[in-house]
Amino acid sequence: MAHVKVVRRSMRPEEWTDLRFGWLRRGIVEEKEEITELTILDARQISENEYEYLDGGERPLKNGDLYFTPDGTAFIKGHAVIPPAFKGRDVYFFLKTAAEMIVKINGKFVGGIDPNRDRVLLNPYIDRDELFIEIEAYNRSKPDDERNDAVIGKRGCRQIFEGAYLCTIRENVQSLIYDYTLLMDVAHSEYFHEDYRKFLFSELSRGLDKIDFDTWEGVDEAAAYIQKHIFENTDFKGSGDVALVGHSHLDIAYYWRRIHAVQKNARTVLIQLRLMDKYPEFRYTHTQAYTYETLETYYPELFAELKEKVASGQFEPVGAMYIEPDCNVPAAESLIRQFLYGQHYFREKFGQTVDNAWLPDVFGNSWIMPQIMKKSKVDYFVSNKMSTWNDTNRFPHNNFIWKGIDGSRVYACVPPTHFITWNMPSQIQENWEAYQDKETGGQTLSMYGYGDGGSGVTEEMLEMARRFDKLSVMPKTEMTGGADFLHKNLKDNKKLTVWDGELYLEMHRGTFTTKANLKKMNRLLEFKLREAEMLCAFAAWRGADYPADELRACWKKLLLNQFHDILPGSHIHPVYEDAMADYMEIGRRLDAILAKYAADTWFNSLPFERDMLTFIPDENGPVVREGVKGFWARPHLPGLTAGGAEPLAGGDNWLSISPLLHEGDLLIVTPLYRLCLHKDGSISGWWEKDGSRQWVRDDHRLNKLHLWADNPGMYDAWDILPNYKDVEIDLPIKEKTRLTYQDGVSAEFTVDFATEKSTWRMIVRLFRDSREIEVEHIADWQEKHRLMKVNFGPNILTRELICDTSAGFVKRPLTKNTTWEQARFEVCHHKWFDLSETGAGVAVINSGKYGVGIEDGEVSLSLLRSTIRPDITSDMGRHHIKYLIVPHGGDAVQAGINRLAFAYNVPLAKAAPALPEAWRKALCESGLWLQSVKVSEDGKYLVLRMSEQDGRRALVRFPQGVYAMNMLEDADGEPFDAKYVSPFEIVTVGIPLL
Amino acid sequence: MKETVKDYIEAVLSPRIQADGGWVEFVSLEGENLTLLFRGECSKCLILDRCVSWIAQKIREDLGRDVRITAVRKKPFFWDRA
Repeated sequence: MAHVKVVRRSMRPEEWTDLRFGWLRRGIVEEKEEITELTILDARQISENEYEYLDGGERPLKNGDLYFTPDGTAFIKGHAVIPPAFKGRDVYFFLKTAAEMIVKINGKFVGGIDPNRDRVLLNPYIDRDELFIEIEAYNRSKPDDERNDAVIGKRGCRQIFEGAYLCTIRENVQSLIYDYTLLMDVAHSEYFHEDYRKFLFSELSRGLDKIDFDTWEGVDEAAAYIQKHIFENTDFKGSGDVALVGHSHLDIAYYWRRIHAVQKNARTVLIQLRLMDKYPEFRYTHTQAYTYETLETYYPELFAELKEKVASGQFEPVGAMYIEPDCNVPAAESLIRQFLYGQHYFREKFGQTVDNAWLPDVFGNSWIMPQIMKKSKVDYFVSNKMSTWNDTNRFPHNNFIWKGIDGSRVYACVPPTHFITWNMPSQIQENWEAYQDKETGGQTLSMYGYGDGGSGVTEEMLEMARRFDKLSVMPKTEMTGGADFLHKNLKDNKKLTVWDGELYLEMHRGTFTTKANLKKMNRLLEFKLREAEMLCAFAAWRGADYPADELRACWKKLLLNQFHDILPGSHIHPVYEDAMADYMEIGRRLDAILAKYAADTWFNSLPFERDMLTFIPDENGPVVREGVKGFWARPHLPGLTAGGAEPLAGGDNWLSISPLLHEGDLLIVTPLYRLCLHKDGSISGWWEKDGSRQWVRDDHRLNKLHLWADNPGMYDAWDILPNYKDVEIDLPIKEKTRLTYQDGVSAEFTVDFATEKSTWRMIVRLFRDSREIEVEHIADWQEKHRLMKVNFGPNILTRELICDTSAGFVKRPLTKNTTWEQARFEVCHHKWFDLSETGAGVAVINSGKYGVGIEDGEVSLSLLRSTIRPDITSDMGRHHIKYLIVPHGGDAVQAGINRLAFAYNVPLAKAAPALPEAWRKALCESGLWLQSVKVSEDGKYLVLRMSEQDGRRALVRFPQGVYAMNMLEDADGEPFDAKYVSPFEIVTVGIPLL
Repeated sequence: MKETVKDYIEAVLSPRIQADGGWVEFVSLEGENLTLLFRGECSKCLILDRCVSWIAQKIREDLGRDVRITAVRKKPFFWDRA
């Protein structure tokens, strides 16, 4: 029997309503007059608000002209007179564009125009009819919000100028459009009941029937009709309680450079300020002290206005941090400085200590965060991604308590929906339906405002909010501020559930590895800053000047580059170039500081004896490591002392090498062990000399390189997906493992690989008097969509992977029994990971790697990726990578892996600082890591920050009374001379400076 | 002369296009026929022709050469659904 599917080709009633709703927009502008006296000057931004002006100079700009060039800023000037016919009415400046514009008229900032808004009201800001127009216009081929369909088709480096106008509008048409925008959104949304939607379509059509779309008669009748028949109809009921908080997410760098974010931020702030003028109920939250700093520097007039709005409560600084950093890769001290410099800025400029961390877009959050927040006077944490981006499991809470690695607790909000919404009823209803803590958490948080590249709230969003109460099917809504929402719903809320663990994002797992050089430099500079600050602080303790401004400037530059689209590697190529230039500059500035303290002795800045193998740079040294000549030493320098470092005494005939049956495999015997080194550099057997132990699991290897096809799709730089293991790429050996260097201390075995495009050299470095094996990789990496990992399959029975977090360790399951475990196939660690069973284990200590893969019976360290979006050249070029494989007795704590890892990452410095012996002893005997020594921001204290890294209790005895400090350096209470320290606690104390 | 166009694209135009998330690479210059490869955001730009015209204009202004540009787009696999 033939079957004919009925396909309706005629227009549905709903389409007829949609169509006429679209026509309504034609009626907004009542009268308009084109501004014809316009000129344009093309420029390119070369620094923060510094420009090079392009050839051609100022030229006339006419309707239909092409304007903007790639990476372009345009300065448009104009002159106009308000037509007499517009007198006594609201007059607007009107310009449709895909670019981002700050508009000044007669010297005053009147508003912003961008893909999300095309007019600004002039009357409140002008006092005469003659107008001199100045526009700073910045064009991006990728507009700041890709979720707004209307702008996607317009993007591109070259735009067609569609004219600039003065106009008046039909307020009643505009108002009716807002009514219809609200109601059409409900009518089209499956989040609302189908009976109501059917009712709406019917009544909306009847309302439109009253309008003559040529004369615009009947608009008021249509508004009255929907008021009576829709807004006053309460037959249909909604439920829910949603807090609406205005916000604009601003990536400081992403598809634009940080120099461009200055203008993006100014435009965003300006737009919000103008909305506040018109909508007194509007409150807006803005993060990142850095963005306030740039506004203050480059747009002081706007900043002054912002300060007034902060004082009135409409403009709310949130976030407490200097920028919105990545919260996986930066070490604890960096995160502390984010709060320190952020909070000090907010205190100084606005007299406020912000009590929330506002990190909507970050890619997961380290377990060390709650303690750092709590001690930075931050009780609340907001971050969206776990709820909306997890790829495997639904994060089970929205409003809850987050318990940190040390037991600290903060109130946390992971809002149910995206941090970018446009305040539509469907989005609010979706938020309420997705909210999982309806019974315990109070209101749910819905952020509204365009973002990524700023822009923020629009008039339409606020007009929607004014109408929500009129619509019976809507959840109850409240326009509020960020802090007010948190205080009202989370503070002292005894019903909240506790989440005790890291806030792992089940996505963006590639950001632990992408752009390896940024991670490596960040690690290096974190420790170099520690060293420079320590030397300066020790000198200041004895009365020397302390270069506070210079050190702060270096810190801030480092913190800036920890932004969550910079350090993670998810940005366009020029952002990488900027970051590397910044890193080089920080390095130079720190070298200049360190040079002032240079001495002939080596300073051990570790708070414990440095008796581990240490590479000492020396141009006459026999060994080349990471391209630097030097020698190996065991300096035996007590903690915080300076002294000499002599080359290790060598021994003869300590190494025997014999070929094995397998072609190319070598059996190597040292005074401590026997090693079977495969021709590819992997270790297939590693036996203690006395036969007590084999460190390699049967049928597994240690240090086995694997090259995988890495095709995560759209989020190329961000993601590593489980599919990377689907295809392993052949990694041909160009020259198999052979002895390439030997002296009385160390020996190096080298293997060379070559793909069609890349070369890869692995050096396996053995030591006469140590079980540790160092592996160095030198890569000329030219791959695309490849992931290089090195796998370790030690002969250890354990179901836990222990990972350093920089302020304590986290134990992660190696099992894959649950979807939660399965989703954590790639995790972030810091300096080391360890696999231990009772009595023994194997640790791998790195010097700038963060990604660790949890595989079937093995653990892998992610070495290099080669993604092409957003940066086609990501990770291309030369890389030096090194790590230490450490077999050990006992567990990681008993084996002192933390100390080894610090020693591996903190080089000796040529310096000879003097600190009081009693203090030196106290700091070293505490057993704590000396994380930071600095002079307090107010110059009154020497600040010592110590962290317990091993998960045990400690007692610190101080030689003199010290003051307890929070991480903002507020001294508190009476001085004390002893302190009990809890596992993973970070302690800050202040010693008054004379 | 051939090197000049290549160098000009690499040194002057490419950094500007990169700053917009785009990517341009010199492929060949045969006579006045210049072939350029567009990647990144350029590979899916709906108005790439305007940018190509601008490149030709810049080459004319700065190098004094009239070139005919063939623009080849190379989309990454995740955008290549054709």
